[in-house]
This record gives sequence, structure tokens and C-alpha cells, in this order.
Amino acid sequence: MQPFIDRLIANGAFAGMPVEVVYALMMILFGVLVVFGFFLPIAGVTSWLERRVWARIQSRIGPNRVGPQGFLQWLADGIKLLLKEDIVPDAADRPLFLFAPYFVVWGIVATFVVIPFSSSLIIADMNVGILYLTAVTALVVVGVLMAGWASNNKWSLIGGIRSAAQIISYEIPASLALLPIVLLSGTLSTQGIIAAQGWAPWHWFAFHNPFTFIAAFMFYVAALAEGNRTPFDIPEAESELVAGFCTEYSGFRYLLFFMAEWGNLYVIGAVATLLFFGGWQVPAWTSNTVLLNISQFGVFFLKSYFWVFISMWVRATLPRVRVDQLMILCWKYLVPIGFMNLIGTAIWMVVWPQGNRVVQYGLVILTVAVLVQFSRRVRFHLRRARPELYYSPAI
Amino acid sequence: MSLAGYEVEVQRDGGLTTEEMTLNMGPQHPSTHGVLRFIVKADGEVMRTAIPDIGYLHRSIEKISEKVGYHGFMPYTDRVDYVSAMQCNQGWGMVCERIANIEVPRRGEFCRVIACELGRIASHLLAVGAMVQDIGAYTPFLHALREREKINNLLEELCGARLTFNYMRIGGVAWDLPTGYPETVTAFLDQFDPLIDEYHDLISYNKVYVERLASVGVVSKEEAINYNLVGPNLRASGFKYDVRRDEPYSIYSELEFDVPVGTGEVGTLGDCFDRYMVRMKEMRESCKIVRQCLNMMPPGPVLAKVARKLKPPSGDAYIRVEGSRGDMGWYVVSDGSEFPYRTKIRTGSFAAMSIVDKVSRGLMIADLIALIASFDVVAPEVDR
Amino acid sequence: MAKNDIARYFKNIKDAVATIFEGMTVTCSHFVRKPYTIQYPDRVPVRIQDTLPFRYRGILEVDLEICTGCLACERACPIDCIVIDAPKDQKTKEMLLTRFDIDIAKCMYCGLCSEVCPTGSIHHTTEFEGADFSLESMIRRFVKAPVVAYKAKKEGETDPVVAPILERGMRYIQEFAEPADMKKLKAEQKSAAA
Repeated sequence: MQPFIDRLIANGAFAGMPVEVVYALMMILFGVLVVFGFFLPIAGVTSWLERRVWARIQSRIGPNRVGPQGFLQWLADGIKLLLKEDIVPDAADRPLFLFAPYFVVWGIVATFVVIPFSSSLIIADMNVGILYLTAVTALVVVGVLMAGWASNNKWSLIGGIRSAAQIISYEIPASLALLPIVLLSGTLSTQGIIAAQGWAPWHWFAFHNPFTFIAAFMFYVAALAEGNRTPFDIPEAESELVAGFCTEYSGFRYLLFFMAEWGNLYVIGAVATLLFFGGWQVPAWTSNTVLLNISQFGVFFLKSYFWVFISMWVRATLPRVRVDQLMILCWKYLVPIGFMNLIGTAIWMVVWPQGNRVVQYGLVILTVAVLVQFSRRVRFHLRRARPELYYSPAI
Repeated sequence: MSLAGYEVEVQRDGGLTTEEMTLNMGPQHPSTHGVLRFIVKADGEVMRTAIPDIGYLHRSIEKISEKVGYHGFMPYTDRVDYVSAMQCNQGWGMVCERIANIEVPRRGEFCRVIACELGRIASHLLAVGAMVQDIGAYTPFLHALREREKINNLLEELCGARLTFNYMRIGGVAWDLPTGYPETVTAFLDQFDPLIDEYHDLISYNKVYVERLASVGVVSKEEAINYNLVGPNLRASGFKYDVRRDEPYSIYSELEFDVPVGTGEVGTLGDCFDRYMVRMKEMRESCKIVRQCLNMMPPGPVLAKVARKLKPPSGDAYIRVEGSRGDMGWYVVSDGSEFPYRTKIRTGSFAAMSIVDKVSRGLMIADLIALIASFDVVAPEVDR
Repeated sequence: MAKNDIARYFKNIKDAVATIFEGMTVTCSHFVRKPYTIQYPDRVPVRIQDTLPFRYRGILEVDLEICTGCLACERACPIDCIVIDAPKDQKTKEMLLTRFDIDIAKCMYCGLCSEVCPTGSIHHTTEFEGADFSLESMIRRFVKAPVVAYKAKKEGETDPVVAPILERGMRYIQEFAEPADMKKLKAEQKSAAA
């Protein structure tokens, strides 16, 4: 977006104003745009969709009364929570307690700065984009820990401490999963990484070589763990810690935590997409920049939302891991595999500097084969249980 | 050192001071299944002790029997273990029949066994479902409850209620099977059997799930016997004891069924996973029993003639039935009047609570949840 | 030992991937299965009350036309939620029902009262929506004005108002005590004996 503002300034749109003020105003404008125009609705819609997907998997219906198919449920829930009393417990550490949710939301919203929705739709294409991403997502842990400590509740405290241990540990496998991509593209800029890929699956970094293939899944697992999602939702494990760090929260602040969780879900999907699955890359089907950008945005959104959907589906399938197993998974499995990926990719780049076409096609075919096997198992389950079938998603 | 009224043990180690944390799990906690309370002394995530504090759901059911008489107590037995009320019905019916020397018609016994085994499936479904939910997976819980709902519909058709059945009477059952009932039940069993396999595919052998349960909360055979565990909890420790097989009552001696025991297939014998698996296997056995009963059912009356004002001769009687949570003892003393002089109910959950403290030492907080769930503790059965 | 550990390490990974894959196939197959939810109360094709089985034990109801005032239900009730006043009219020597209250808030729907009723006057309906704003309003008072208790006639009921109610009550008793297939069975036994 900076080139856009620079052009406006050069054209004299803000004549008479100091440049710093223009930039500050623009920052606020884009902040408001991102938060209210994208982050809020996407978090809300994700919450609705998650409930619907869950419900369907669990032979239920889910919210279907507010608006068409219950689509406006998230608005109703949000308004309800806004109207509730914001309770601060007597024994809580008041300033910390009040401030903690903002930290969490701040950490998530700040990531939107570097997420490229299309070739020109990005707030700031920083040359340290990936580094920035990993840095600001770590802000969440500060908020969660603050919330856990300030609540002055033992369950919250355990939740907060668990979360701190978890997020900090999982920063490492997540970063290790990013590094092969940084190696391959030779840049930390998010736009640069996408530009290094192509529109076709075999151009994507996920299918570049076996190591990045593993890294893609590793990143996804680590990102889910960083985002406190099932099977790694131990900080708020409702059957163990009541609600973990948000036990004492109510009303708007409680809403903020959940907004951050669902917003983060989209961020996970978007980052996975831009790193491994080709980002906004589309075939150059038109020379019209606006149309091209719209199609790029659509492709990017669909790809990233696909990963959001997968995470809902995983959440509906898996139980929760225990806190020590979480650490075992991180340090004994993901971290060594991450190093292996990093070294493997480096060697691969030495052996085949231009990449190996056969391997790329092979990995794509392997993925298709897995999907075929998957659908065969699904058919098997359907045949065995002989349920009443109902294909329409609407009820 | 005293903190908020609790004596806190302070350990000094070098310059750092660590304190044991006293956690109150319950009585209002999502995974204590009713109102149970555990006083947990924890060192971070690791527990030192978890002492159960029971009595929040005490409703003096035994005392009530002294006021409402033999027939009138039947609805109250539904409330002893509301998750599988049929066996409680049967227990009370049997103990009264023994003390008053009443013969139950043969068809009545079959009706009882069918109802009990359906109830057992429903209860085990809730047990495994709730256990999976406590481990953190929500979907299998609802799949289990969906099937339980179908059984509830069947039982509703049979006796008019979904939870507090009050189906049995002293001397038999209140109502015969409704028209077309065997077909309905068979249809349900036919679609239920493959769903157990599906359940295994979905969650039972899931790596995350197995890791959570394998070798957690191990109760050895000797411990289980010493602490008087009964039912699935005992069998999971490898001790093959089932009242239905070893001291057959009703018509169980004529039926063919296995008694599944724990095998320690993924961890140690007697761990949480064994207790889970024994329940899964028992559901299949119950299906088998129901099918056999439907085939063997003789015609005839279902309810013996019993005086409206039952006055058993003075004396006492004790019987045991295999409830969903194990060997359930019913003891009644009669003084010759129309009200029991004393009633005592012995339940499986109460025995299971006594071992929680011993087994939970050194486990993590998350394991305690799995442990309680694997014992299938139902709070009203503990307190009565 | 080291070799075993490495083998177990990779077996763990393989197991985790394979079982999660299998679990995901099961949950995926549920996307095309029909939900089991009943959208009570408004989006149901038939009123739930009409779909309940005949034996359903809902809120109690009393047909005063055929109530004999025998107090059997009051005695059978384990929680005394039925209160009946049936004094004898000094002039006509008939039994008058002046009060027949059932406290729905107390009732536990055990069905013991409807079982002992000789005419099927007190019976369970399939109605279950009993919520109300106060405990007092949950006491159902069936006697509006004192009525004469029903007395079974030797030659059978002839009163056109009472006869259908009594018939229905008797059918209720019969279907509770002896379901249809038992009747058929008895008829078969009889025909076989003949």
C-alpha cells in the first residue's frame, strides 16, 4: 500500500500536510479497514462456519435461525457479548486484567500487515515480512500469560503457564518449517516468496521436494499449536481447566479472546498458503490489473480458507494431547524433523538448483493418490454404517 | 504458612521457593460428572494427591424407602443410578421377591433382561462418550449420545419414560413388550453393531487418544480386589468376575455371552484404556444377549400376583445384580410391616472413588480427568 | 535397544498419521449423513406430543365422569402429590368429589397411580410441556364444582356422555396391562384349545 500512498502524495492529494501526518492518518485508516472490514467479519463468519461444520460432523444442525442458515449468528453472539457486564474479579490485578485481551488481539491483527491478498493488495511488503510474522504472533503469549496471571485464579494461572510454554516451544518448529522456504526463495518478503512460486500445484513450494512437503504439514501442526487449537488447546482445555486463561473474563473482553482465536485461524491458513501453496498466483488470464487482482484475491482467500476448514475438521476429529506429550511432540519430533528438512532442502538446492521436475510431479501425484485412498475409505465407512444420506449443506 | 485458609507446605530449595498448590476441582467442574469434588494438591501440573470429597448429591434414598413402602420405592430406585436405572429397578424387585417369596413369570424375566441390557448399552455409551469428551474430542461423544438417544426411544416405547423408567415391579415387569417391539429392537441392533467398529476407527485406536490413556492410572489385579472394585473396573484389571456369569440370577444362566476382561493391549494391564475397552466390548455382549432373549422369549404373563400392600415376613435379604457400574448389592430388612425396616444399597461407583486417591498420585491434572472418567463414576450413585 | 527406540520412533509417527487419517475419513463421511436433530418445538413436521409412544408417561389427567373416588391413586402415590376430598353427601348418600388436585411440580411421572385406577380415570397424557411461572399454578385442580363420584352399573354403562369416556379409560388400562399381541396370543390359544 505504501507505493499507493506515495503516488497520492506525489500527485498532490494531501498538499499542505506534513508527510508524517499523512502516513499516520493512513496507518489508522488501514488499521480500521483491516480490523472492521476484514478481521472482524472473518473471525465472526469463521465462528459460525466452525459451528456448522462441527454440527454436521456430529449429526447435529448447528445455528440455523439467525439469518439465512444462521449466517448472522456471529453478529447476534457478538452483540450479546458486547451488552454483557464486563466483570473484573475483586482479587484480580485490575490493569493487567483489563489490558490482556488487547495484547492478544493486537498480536493477531498485526500479522495482517504482511499478508499479501493479491499482487498489489498488501499493507506493507516488508523485506523482513516472515520475521515480522513470527515476531508479532509471539505477542499473543504475553497477552495470554497476562490474562492467566491477572485473573488470580489457579485454573487461569495453569492455563496461562501452559500457553506460555506451548507458544514459545512451538515458535521453533514453526520457524524451522519456514526456513526451507526462505532458503528456496532467497527472500523474507512475503510477496517475494509468492513470486517465487507459480500458479500450478507443481510450482508450489509444498511440492518442490519431499522435505518441503513434510515442512508444509509440520508448519500447519506447529501453527495450530501456536494458535491454541485442538488437538493442542490445552491452555483453555475446557474439561480440565474449566476455560483456562479466560475463565474469569466476561463480555467484551471474552469476545476479544475468541475473536483473536478465530482471526488467528485465518492467519494460519493465509500464512500456510503464501508459504507453501502458491499464495495468490493465478495464470495471467487477463491484462486488466483490477480483474487480475480480484481473481488473485479470490484464489488466495479460497486457498487460505481451505486450511481454516481443515483445522475445523481436525478439531472435530482429534482429542486433546496432554501437556507433556505436547512438549514431546515439539522437541522430540517436530524440531528434529525441522532440522532434517532444513538440511535436506539445502542439499537439494545444491544437487538440483533449478528443482527436480520429476519429483515435483511425483509429489503432486502422491497427494492425489492419498486423496483417492481417502475417498475410498469414506465410501467404506458409508457402506458399513448404512446411514441415511443427505447431501445438501443447508438445512 | 497459611494462604487463604489453607495450610501450605513450603519447600525451600536453594534460593527458590516453591509451594504446593491446592486446587479445588469441583463440585462445579465440567468433568466431574455431577457434583463431585476433588481436593487436588499439585506441584505445577503433577498431582501429589487428589482426595475425593463426596456427599454433594446425597438424597437419603435409603431412608426414603422406610417411608414409602415396597411398591412405592420402585420409582426412587431409578434415581440411585440414573444413567442405568433398569438394573436398579431389577435389584429392588429381586430383593423384594426374595424376602416375600415371589416367583417372577418367565416372560417377565426375559422382559427384565432385555430392558436391563438395553440400559447397559445406553449407560456404557454415555460412559465411553463422556470419557472421550473429557479427553478432548467432542465428536465421538455426540455420536455415542446419538445412539443412546435411539435406545432411549426404544425404552420410552417399552415403559413410557426415557430416564426414570420405573418399568419393573415386584413380581415382574409392569408392561409386556409392545407390538412389533422385537423387530424394532433387532433393527436398532443391526445398525448399532457396525457403529461400534466405526467408533473404534474414529477414536479408540487414535494415536493421540491411546497415548492419553495407555499406562495411565494403572490398577493392578490385587489392588482392584483389595479396594473392592467391581464391574468393568475390576474386569479391566484382568479379573474375570461378573455377577451375571458367576452367580447367575434371573435367566442369565441360560444365555451365552462372554465376559470381556482387560488385556493391556496398548499399555499396562488395568490402565484407563483397558477400562474403556472393556466397556466397548461389553456393549457387543449386551447386543448378543438382547438378540438371544428376543429369540428365546416364551409367551405368558409378565407380572405375578402381588398384594397391593406387600407385607413380607420379618427377616432380611441381600441380592446382587450386575449393574452398569458393577456388582450392585441390595439389602433389605423387613419387620413384617408394609414398610421396609432398613434398606442398604451398595454401589460400584462408591468403591471406585476410594481408589482414586491411591491411583492418582504422581499423575498429571489432565490424567486425573481421564482417570475419573475411566472409572465411570456417576455422582448420584456414589452418594445415593 | 537403540535400534528398537528408533523403530518405535518411526512407528509412532506412522501410527499417528495412519490413525488420524482414518479418523478423518470417518468424520468426512458424516458430511453426507443426515443430522439426527429434531428441531423442537417449531420446525417439526408433526407435533412431538403426537409422535410419542402410547405408553409415554406425561402430565396426568383425570376424567371426573368416571372417577369412582376410590382413592387408590392417592394411596399409591409415593410422594403424595394427589389430594382427593370425597365426603359423603349427608342427604343423597352419594359420594361427592369436592377436590381432586394433582401437584405437577411434585409429580415424578412414575405411573403408579394410573396403574391402580379401576376405570382408567386418571391417566397419563403425552403432554410434557408443564413449565409455569409459579409453583401454585402448577397444581392442577380438576374439580371445579363438586361432582358425584362415578358408580359402576351392573348392566353396563348406558349414559351416552359417560360411555365413550369409560370405554377409552378401559382401553387405556387394557393396553397398558395387556398389549395387543398378548390378546392375539390368547385368542390363538383359545382357538387351539377349541
